[in-house]
Amino acid sequence: MRRVFPKAALVLAALLFLNVAQAQTITVFAAASLKNALDEAAALFERESGSRVRLSYAASSALARQIERGAPADVFISADREWMRYLEEEGFLEPGSSRELFGNRLVLVAPASRPLALEPEPGFAIVPALGEGRLAMADPRHVPAGRYARAALEKLGVWSAVEDRLAPADNVRAALALVARGETPLGIVYETDAKAEPGVMVAGRFPAASHPPIVYPVAMLKGARPGTAPFIAFLSGPQARRVFERHGFAPNP
Amino acid sequence: MWILTPEESAALVLSLKVAFWSVAASLPVAVALAWLLSRKRFPGKSLLDAIVHLPLVLPPVVVGYFLLLAFGRRGPIGAFLDEFFGISFAFSWTGAALASAVMGLPLLVRAVRQSLDAVDRGLESAAATLGASPAWVFASVTLPLILPGIVTGMVLSFARSLGEFGATITFVSNIPGETQTLPLAIYAFTQVPGGDAQALRLCILAILLSLAALMASEILVRRATARAAGRDA
Amino acid sequence: MLEFKAHYRAGSFTLEAAFSAGPGVTALFGRSGAGKSTVLGLIAGLARPAEGRIAVGARVLFDSAAGIDLPAHRRRVGYVFQDSRLLPHLSVRQNLLYGRFFSRSPRGGVRLSLAQVVELLGVEHLLARRPASLSGGERQRVAIGRALLAEPELLLLDEPLASLDAPRKAEILYYIERLRDEVRIPIVYVSHSIEEVVRLADTVVLLSNGRVVESGPVAQMAARIELRGFLGRFEGGAVLDAVVAEQDLESGLARLAFAGGSLYAPDVDALVGERVRVRIRARDVALATEKPRAISMLNVISGTVAEVGESAGASVDVRVEASGASLLARVTRKSVADLALAPGRPVFALVKAVAIDRHSVGYA
Repeated sequence: MRRVFPKAALVLAALLFLNVAQAQTITVFAAASLKNALDEAAALFERESGSRVRLSYAASSALARQIERGAPADVFISADREWMRYLEEEGFLEPGSSRELFGNRLVLVAPASRPLALEPEPGFAIVPALGEGRLAMADPRHVPAGRYARAALEKLGVWSAVEDRLAPADNVRAALALVARGETPLGIVYETDAKAEPGVMVAGRFPAASHPPIVYPVAMLKGARPGTAPFIAFLSGPQARRVFERHGFAPNP
Repeated sequence: MWILTPEESAALVLSLKVAFWSVAASLPVAVALAWLLSRKRFPGKSLLDAIVHLPLVLPPVVVGYFLLLAFGRRGPIGAFLDEFFGISFAFSWTGAALASAVMGLPLLVRAVRQSLDAVDRGLESAAATLGASPAWVFASVTLPLILPGIVTGMVLSFARSLGEFGATITFVSNIPGETQTLPLAIYAFTQVPGGDAQALRLCILAILLSLAALMASEILVRRATARAAGRDA
Repeated sequence: MLEFKAHYRAGSFTLEAAFSAGPGVTALFGRSGAGKSTVLGLIAGLARPAEGRIAVGARVLFDSAAGIDLPAHRRRVGYVFQDSRLLPHLSVRQNLLYGRFFSRSPRGGVRLSLAQVVELLGVEHLLARRPASLSGGERQRVAIGRALLAEPELLLLDEPLASLDAPRKAEILYYIERLRDEVRIPIVYVSHSIEEVVRLADTVVLLSNGRVVESGPVAQMAARIELRGFLGRFEGGAVLDAVVAEQDLESGLARLAFAGGSLYAPDVDALVGERVRVRIRARDVALATEKPRAISMLNVISGTVAEVGESAGASVDVRVEASGASLLARVTRKSVADLALAPGRPVFALVKAVAIDRHSVGYA
């Protein structure tokens, strides 16, 4: 009896632990451009930890707005610092939990069925290249990918020329879809998006100096469920890094 | 506070323009369909009836997506129109009008058909005995009598167009000045922190517009009905 | 003028009829459901027979053998519906002229002017009004005018008096009589009222269950005893053509001369020399085998018993011939036996002058 009791207790504890671990579900709000890479990384984490990860992708601005409205998310991964800072100022972040994960690059893409080469440089001939079509990009008013794109085009001196030729999309993946479908002759997305979509080809790369550095901050939100901290730690770890690098994300600058 | 920004006025004007043209373009089609469904018997009639009513029950996004597949730059109909007529719907107010026209068509067809069903066929026979060919009977007898139904349908379709969102944004995206009608503008403002005041202003505007449309229709229908019934209106 | 032959089926009703109609008014008479309106519909082109031939004069409207089927709007057949069917969204004037718009050139039809028709039907004061504000009688007059102005070669009237009350009936009857007399268009008149038929028709076609039972001149038809079964509540009677021989203002009586003699009738609204048509109900005629004296009945017609009818009840119809004119008398079977009334027996037909009332005298 005395020999059984400790074993039973252990088994019970293990079961309890597994149960508790099994019941862990973390909700992650992530920038749209992270879709393919984060799906893979999260699956890896689920297998190892036993937690369930629920992923919700949209433009960082839209996500910030939802969190502000009280959406029950545990983790927020933004595509730029501004939106993370916004939430921090509004007091939605768990203090000290924020860290920067990795970077990205901006590229000019064209449909794979109508490829062309056009290197973004000061005063480059983007308007003739558009012809009668439009330039697809995430909404430059609030979506990070759009803001970076606008900054780059301004820096290169062609923004005023294309300003009214835009096809603004809700998020960068929607912009990518427009180009992939051939709806627009050109689009501006992240390098990782171009890599993920066989329907587009890279026409040219924007110089890194033409826009603020693209970084992806991650943070735990106030009131996050237990099991969140391990996930964030996992994202910064070597396994996750390998996954993201394979998808084309640059290591944290 | 009550003056509209250029962006907001653009959305308002665009909404009215899109709604107007969507009703104007779908009217002849709707009358023809209503007449077919009301007066003729042919194989596949119930199928046609169902297809006409589809936009009423399908999620608007689905309708928008199918429009994209068919009329988009690379869609079969879209490519044809673009190549031979230079007509393009992508990212253009014509696309927004097409989306509204499709979504409003069942409402228009239903209203006209109900009116057609209620027409006293005896009057049409009488006109025929007086020498009016079928086309003349339609123009001089049927049409005036179904005018109330047509007006009702047009107002319903117009109002539907003012509120059309899902199909529009899926088909032609949200381009300010081109496809950003009132509902799309309101949506855009709700996506941005700090856009609440503008969103609210546009909401009130949308309500006022709909009220005006409903009241105008009340007057028009009453007049048309009196005329059709033979009362000295 | 009108040749009609058709085989038509709708649901459980079958019409198999053939008749021809000359100029003047041809009445289609029969009970409800006999097929009268159906015949009109087939003539007008609103329904199509399975087979047959319909022609107006030289114009063939329908011929199944030859593959001819003129659409309604080309048949030039005017149709006055029972419910008038005025176009509610047009004024009376616009209604009247509606058919005029489609008839470019007169092709054998009678061309009347709007003024003529308005005068004929007395609708001048209604021209600016809308149908909804008219009375039933006014609507029917406009409907007749509208059909006339479309320059038809044949006019169809479908129980035009059915939906009217007695005073209106009399009013329209008057206008239709004028129509018959002043406009030279053949008319087919459908009715289930023998009174209308007797007053207006020249020829009567009797329909029953979709078949033509009998047809012939009106005077002949009215007096046929065996037809009593089709006349429903109407009792058989005689129709006589007469001329006003005298008008006595003092007594208020007119003397109407006909083939069999003279008839006195009160309040006859006609001038001396005018032709009239007199209907005498069988129940108003008594018979005597001796000429009566000191009796109030003014009309004593001498004649011979031509036919004694079959009867199931206590009464029987006896047809009396008087120099070519026929009178019908309804008497009891007992009297027939008591007086030994049989064909060939000379008798006197007695008719109360008062019985020949305003409704019984029509104007030819």
